[in-house]
Amino acid sequence: MDFDFSDDQNSLRDAVARWVEKGFSFERRHAIAKAGGAARAVYNELAELGLTGLAVPTAHGGMGFGAVEAMVVCEELGRGLVNAPYAQAALMAPLLLAAAPATVQAEWLPKIAAGSALIVLAHQERAARYRLDQVQTRAVQAGGSWSLSGAKSVVPAGDEADAWVVPARTAGAAGDATGVGLFLVVKGAAGATVRGFPTQDGARAAQLTLASSPATLLAVQGLPLLEHAVDAGIAALCAEGVGVMDKLLAITVEYMNTRKQFGVPIASFQALRHRIADVKMQLELARSMSYFASLKLGEPAAQRRRALAQAKLQLGQSMRFVGQQCIQMHGGIGVTDEYVASHYFKRLTVMEMTFGDTLHQLGEVSSRMLDTAGVFA
Amino acid sequence: MDLTFTREEQAFREKIRAWVGQNLPTDISHKVHNALDLTAQDMQRWARILGKEGWHGYAWPKQFGGPGWGAVQRHLFEEECALAGAPRIVPFGPVMVAPVIMAFGTPEQQRRHLPGIMSGDVWWSQGYSEPGSGSDLASLKCKAERRGDYYLVNGQKTWTTLAQYGEWIFCLVRTSNEGKPQTGISFLLIDMKSPGVKVRPIVMLDGGVEVNEVWFDNVEVPADNLVGEENKGWTYAKYLLAHERTGIGDVNRAKRELERLKRIAKLEGVYDEPRFRDQIALLEVDVVALEMLILRVISAEKSGKQSLDVAGLLKIRGSEIQQRYTELMMLAGGPFCVPFIREAMAAGWQGDFFGAAHCAPLAGTYFNYRKTTIYGGSNEVQRNIVAQTVLGS
Repeated sequence: MDFDFSDDQNSLRDAVARWVEKGFSFERRHAIAKAGGAARAVYNELAELGLTGLAVPTAHGGMGFGAVEAMVVCEELGRGLVNAPYAQAALMAPLLLAAAPATVQAEWLPKIAAGSALIVLAHQERAARYRLDQVQTRAVQAGGSWSLSGAKSVVPAGDEADAWVVPARTAGAAGDATGVGLFLVVKGAAGATVRGFPTQDGARAAQLTLASSPATLLAVQGLPLLEHAVDAGIAALCAEGVGVMDKLLAITVEYMNTRKQFGVPIASFQALRHRIADVKMQLELARSMSYFASLKLGEPAAQRRRALAQAKLQLGQSMRFVGQQCIQMHGGIGVTDEYVASHYFKRLTVMEMTFGDTLHQLGEVSSRMLDTAGVFA
Repeated sequence: MDLTFTREEQAFREKIRAWVGQNLPTDISHKVHNALDLTAQDMQRWARILGKEGWHGYAWPKQFGGPGWGAVQRHLFEEECALAGAPRIVPFGPVMVAPVIMAFGTPEQQRRHLPGIMSGDVWWSQGYSEPGSGSDLASLKCKAERRGDYYLVNGQKTWTTLAQYGEWIFCLVRTSNEGKPQTGISFLLIDMKSPGVKVRPIVMLDGGVEVNEVWFDNVEVPADNLVGEENKGWTYAKYLLAHERTGIGDVNRAKRELERLKRIAKLEGVYDEPRFRDQIALLEVDVVALEMLILRVISAEKSGKQSLDVAGLLKIRGSEIQQRYTELMMLAGGPFCVPFIREAMAAGWQGDFFGAAHCAPLAGTYFNYRKTTIYGGSNEVQRNIVAQTVLGS
C-alpha cells in the first residue's frame, strides 16, 4: 500500500510540467484551436522530450514504462490543456500492436517511439455508440492479403496520422464477441479517404472511409486487445481529467479571491464556499479513482474491466460537476472564448464522451457487480 | 506506487481475522449483520474481549499499554472487525478522551483513567453540545467556577450519546468570559455518580434511546480532574478532532452494509431490476472511491512524505454514503418497511413482522442515520472547513 511517486516519476512529471510552462501557453493552444486543431507540431515536441516512447518496449527503442508513468505524464498534459493525441498515439498504439507479427512490430514500434509515426485507433462507428463489439466494417482476405471496407468516425488526429489501427469483422455480425480483427491501414492506402474536422475541445479528428483498402493483419481475435487498449486509454483519460480539474480549480480559486462584488471578494460568500468544497470533493474522489485505474490496468481482463468502468464512472461524474460549477462560479467571463476556463470545461466535456460516457459506464459497473464490494472485492 | 499489502501486512490481517473469528460472540455479530438492537451489555462485552487482548485502545502507543500499530495495521484491524460484524467500538473512551489524557493529562490522571478505558470496564461519555451550542460550540455556557480545590459545575449538556450508561464524562466547560469565546473553555473529567448530575434520555425518531440530556446542578468536581491548563480546553478539543482520522469515513462498515444491501435487494426481487440495480452500482463506485481516498491518507501517514488534509472530505463523504445505503435498503424493502414493530428490532422477536424479518429494522435505521450528517460537526460546517483550506481565505 503505497501511493508515493518515485524520484524518477517525479522527475518525469517535472520535465513535462517544465515543457508546458515554457512551450505551451494558453495563447499557443488557443491559436492552434482557432487554426483547426492540428496537433502534429505539438506531438513532435512531445516526441523530442522522449514521451512518445514511454510505452514502447525498450527492445524497440522505447522506455518500456508502465501505467504509473503514463498517468504522471497525462496528468501534466491535462494541467496544461495540451491538445495532442498523446494517449491514443503513444499509449494505446503500442498495446494495439502487441500481438502483431514481429516484422510489423519491428517496422512501426521504433517509429512510434521516435514520434516519426503517428498511429491512432480508428474504431468509432456510427451505430456502435460505446460498444467495442459493434463492428460493421468488413475485412476480406484474398490471395493472402486483406482489404477493409467501412467507415470510422471521430478518429483523433485522423487526418494527421501516418496509419490507423482499424477493428474490422472477419466473421460474424455486429455485436459478436468473436470475428473482430485488428488491422493496420497506412495513409495513402488505395480506397482510404480521410476528411478532417476541428473538435469541440480545440483538437482535431477525422472521418475515415475505407473501400477495399489494403490492410495488414495485427490480430485475428482483436477484441480482447482492443478492450485492453481502450482501458489503457480510459486510465490515461482519468489522469488527464485530474490534471484538467486540478488546474481549473486553481484558476477558479484565484478568481474567487480576486473578483469583488458587493464590495468584497466573492470567495467570502458561503453559497460559493460550499460549492468549492464540493468541487474539491469531486476532484479528490477523481484523483483516487485515477490511481485506482492505473494500478488496476495490469489485472486479468474481468477485474481490469470492472475497475476501469468504475473509474471512468467516477471521472465522468466529477468532470461534469467540476466543469459546470467552475464555469458557474466565474459568472459571465466563464462563458467567453477569450478566457481560459471555458477551454478547460470543453475538454472535460469531450473526455466524458470518450471511451464510454457516464451512463455507459454505469451499465458496465452494474452488470459486472459482485456480491462483495470495495477496492479489493 | 502499489495497491497491494505487503506480506507482513497480509500476515497481520490473517492474524486479526483468525482472532476475531474465535473471539467475536456470534450472537453479537448476528445482531450487527442484521442491524438489530445492540444492548449496553453487548457493547461492553465486546469492549472487554478486546480489552483483555489490549486492543480496545487499538490505536494507542505501546507506552500507554496499546499495541503501537501503524496506520496500515490500524486500518486492517478496523476492516477485519467491521467485515466480521463486530460492533463499532464506542469511541468516547478509547478513541476520544484517552489520546487527550495521554497528551495533556497528568501522570496521575493517566494512571487513574487509562487502564479502565483500555479494559472496557469504564464507560465514558462526551459532554460537548449544549441546547444553545451546536455548530457554534465555542458559545457553550456550562459553567465551572473554581472554589479552592474543586470546581462547582452548573449547566446542561445535550445529545450526549449513551450517557445513560456513562460512568465518567469529559466536558468542555466555561471557566472564563474574558476574551474570545474559545479562550475561556476548560476540559474537565467528571464522575457521573457525583451528586447533582442528572441524565434524561431523549427518545429519537426511530423510537430508540441513544442520546441524552445531562444536567449539572452544583456538582463539585475535584480540581485534579482538570486536564491540562485552565482555559486551554478548546485546544485540547481540537487536538481530539485531529486525532479522529480515517475512522471518520468508516468505509469498512460501508463495504459490509453494501453487501447487505445487495442481499436485501435480491430477497426483495429488485436486484435484477435495472433502475434499482444501477443505484447500487453508483453507490458501489462511491464506496470504492472513498476507500481509495482513505488508503491514500493511510499511505501518506505511513510514508510521512506527503500530508493529506482531507478529514472534512472523509466526514462528508462517509456520512453521505451511510445515509445512502440505509436509504436504498429501505427502498428495497418498500411497503414492508412500513410496519413499526419496535420490539422486532431486538434479536429473538417471536411475534409477527407483517412482512419479513429483514425488513423490520430498515426504516428505523434510515431514520436514525439522518444523524450522520449532523453530528461530529455538521456537513455544512465541514464544508466551511474544506473551503477555508481550498480558498486560503
